Amino acid sequence: MKKIFILLLSLLGFVELKAQMPHDAIYMNKKLACGALIYGNNSWTNYWENGLKRENLNIGKLTTQSATAMIAYGITRDINVIAMVPYVKTEASQGNLMGQQGFQDASVFVKAKTKAYHGITAHGVVGFSVPVTNYVPDFMPMSIGLGAKTLLVRGILSYALPKHLYVNSSIAYQARSQVKADRDAYLAGSKLYQTNQVAVPDAFDAALRLGYLKKDNQLEVFAEHFSCTKGDDIRRNDMPFLTNDMTMTTVGMYGKYQPKSIGVNARVAYVVDGQNVGQSTTVSIGLLYLFKVK
Amino acid sequence: MRYILSLWILLGLVSCDKSVSESIIEPYAPAKVDETAGSWKTFILTNSTEVVVPALNSDAAYKKEVDSLKSIEVTASQKAAVLYWGAGSVLRWNEIARELAARYNIPPAANAAGVYPVPDAANPLADPKFPFANPPYTARALAYLSVAQYDALVSAWKYKYQYNRPAPSVLDPSIKPLLPISSMPAYPSEDAVVAQASYVVLLAMFPGEGPFLSEKLAEAKNAPIWAKTNVNSDVTAGANLGAAVAAKVMARAKTDGMSAANNQAIVPDLIAHAKSLGFTTVWASQESPVRPPMLPNYGAVKTWNFDRATLESIRPAIPYLPGSEAFNKDLAELQTINKTQTRDQAAIANYWADGPGSYTPPGHWHRYACEAGVEAKYSEVRMARMLAYVGTALMDAGVACWETKYFYYSPRPQQFDLKTSVGLPNFPSYTSGHSTFSFAAATVLSSLFPDRANTFMANAQQASDSRVYGLIHFRVDCSMGGKHGKAIGAFAVQKANADGAN
Repeated sequence: MKKIFILLLSLLGFVELKAQMPHDAIYMNKKLACGALIYGNNSWTNYWENGLKRENLNIGKLTTQSATAMIAYGITRDINVIAMVPYVKTEASQGNLMGQQGFQDASVFVKAKTKAYHGITAHGVVGFSVPVTNYVPDFMPMSIGLGAKTLLVRGILSYALPKHLYVNSSIAYQARSQVKADRDAYLAGSKLYQTNQVAVPDAFDAALRLGYLKKDNQLEVFAEHFSCTKGDDIRRNDMPFLTNDMTMTTVGMYGKYQPKSIGVNARVAYVVDGQNVGQSTTVSIGLLYLFKVK
Repeated sequence: MRYILSLWILLGLVSCDKSVSESIIEPYAPAKVDETAGSWKTFILTNSTEVVVPALNSDAAYKKEVDSLKSIEVTASQKAAVLYWGAGSVLRWNEIARELAARYNIPPAANAAGVYPVPDAANPLADPKFPFANPPYTARALAYLSVAQYDALVSAWKYKYQYNRPAPSVLDPSIKPLLPISSMPAYPSEDAVVAQASYVVLLAMFPGEGPFLSEKLAEAKNAPIWAKTNVNSDVTAGANLGAAVAAKVMARAKTDGMSAANNQAIVPDLIAHAKSLGFTTVWASQESPVRPPMLPNYGAVKTWNFDRATLESIRPAIPYLPGSEAFNKDLAELQTINKTQTRDQAAIANYWADGPGSYTPPGHWHRYACEAGVEAKYSEVRMARMLAYVGTALMDAGVACWETKYFYYSPRPQQFDLKTSVGLPNFPSYTSGHSTFSFAAATVLSSLFPDRANTFMANAQQASDSRVYGLIHFRVDCSMGGKHGKAIGAFAVQKANADGAN
């Protein structure tokens, strides 16, 4: 059944907020649209300072909440376009760092697929995101995003198994623009850069999903890995920075129920390992609304 | 096809601005060679011939050295080194010092027992690394660096014009130097003087950086040979002079009181004193675990441009105490910003934050000073002179501000339920270090570059305001700190006006 579009959002903290992307194998039919409002709650108490796992009593628990408006539309039954924008709010439970909030990055994705061949379908996704407000990118970890424009290219292979089961694997590359920081000098590695331009490293991610999909119901487990192509590490007892080489491995579960035009989805994800990121737990729930255009 | 086109457009949007560009400083011939600099008044040396530079070898020996330059063919990386150092030895060593400051400017982490270990100079690369190059530490490191460079260069200038050795390309016009050259005599090499003096000071200040500094030193001393602007005997004599002057400068550093700057034993008395002044709420660390205050006895460190009695006489009075009506007005200003901080306010706070991982406010002002000196095409000796006055004013500002901070031991805004958008320093509030540092430096720079005085003073004002916008200082901390900084800078200006350079 292709009449339903499903959104999988990766709201895994400030890094993962850059990685919101449709990466499933499901399409809207032509002239069908699906709107969604999704609430996400991401939090961590421990984080990896370089490779050292630690807590920080001057941050306590860092919580990132988000509300995302999203729309997906079927240009044809094989080509869909998806757009979204989140409002993000950060807060530390201890210490005195000021929480930040605002609209973050708007993104647009185009997704297309090939015909099935022996049960295997290939998909390609191209996406672009750009900050919609002039938020502070370099007050990490309180910043609501990295401030970079992002171009994403994703390849997906989906394989339909018997009994409504499926396997879906994907790999993506994100090219990220440099960012204009408020400061005019910063350290990256051991070099002092005397400029306000900061190169945010490119990143890739890969994922494997195993799920059950029957009409309106879907249940899926997944593992994802996110990594930058380069970057420096958080220095001992220093704060994170835009140039950091962030890495994380996440496991989680996703479910959706859409009996009619109104539906709901939910996602839980947990970072099991990482570097220069928080060990976050994310819970998100969404309200879906399906409608025909014209 | 349309999709492919769109993809290209998107790729262009992301990738065309990918490489980070820093402004490149080109080598230049100085606007003036300052041939009388050998008579300028020095900071530590009693006069410019206190260290003896040996007389020249015979003309024949020099001719042979000059001839040996002809066979030198530089590699691409050697040429890059020539161009790098050719922008100015004083400038480059100042940059190196700022980079080291940034790398070492991170507060120690608490250990498992909740105690913050004190960095150990004898074990500088252990955790926590030595030093913690916080603003007072960095102000001092840069001051000694600049003073050593300046005194050594005044001495070098004295000998240059005493011995009057012509530059290799002047002696033999067939030699084509890689850098613009001036009419200045070559012996001793000013690049080697600066390199060796800087190496001695920076190794003392950053004892874990021996290999890094040795590499820089070797390159800095080779660069004038590769550039064919000096021969070996110029470099050797310069290095010896630089080392000897730096040793004299560092003798002062060893006894200036810095070793007792982190004396935590005096803290109970400081608190008792603040309470005797009427403070009902005194400063308390807002960190968890509670961190001991930063360098509570730095205020006792020896100043450069005024004496102890003067330091005490210019200490800002505190116009009002926490809880007073005037104080509540300052608090209300912060409470409003806490609720409605604008993006512009945040940007100003961030621009001047110069917090952990940065070269600190003193480093920021040294950078501004260097940029102004390059723009004015200063000679090496004039560049060092400027940085010596800016640097000593910044260190004096640090000492006097710290003395004020611990005299009053006043509470931070975060003790009144305010957040911060820049991070909270771990020492008392009144007066603002940023304000004192910035106005001290801006006062010196305004005197040296009167055409740009408005810009420097506006920058200082913005740096001062930034601490209110970042919510970590009350307005009074900044306004009184700024006045204090101006007075401190004026002492450096007074000294500069009498050193024979103008």
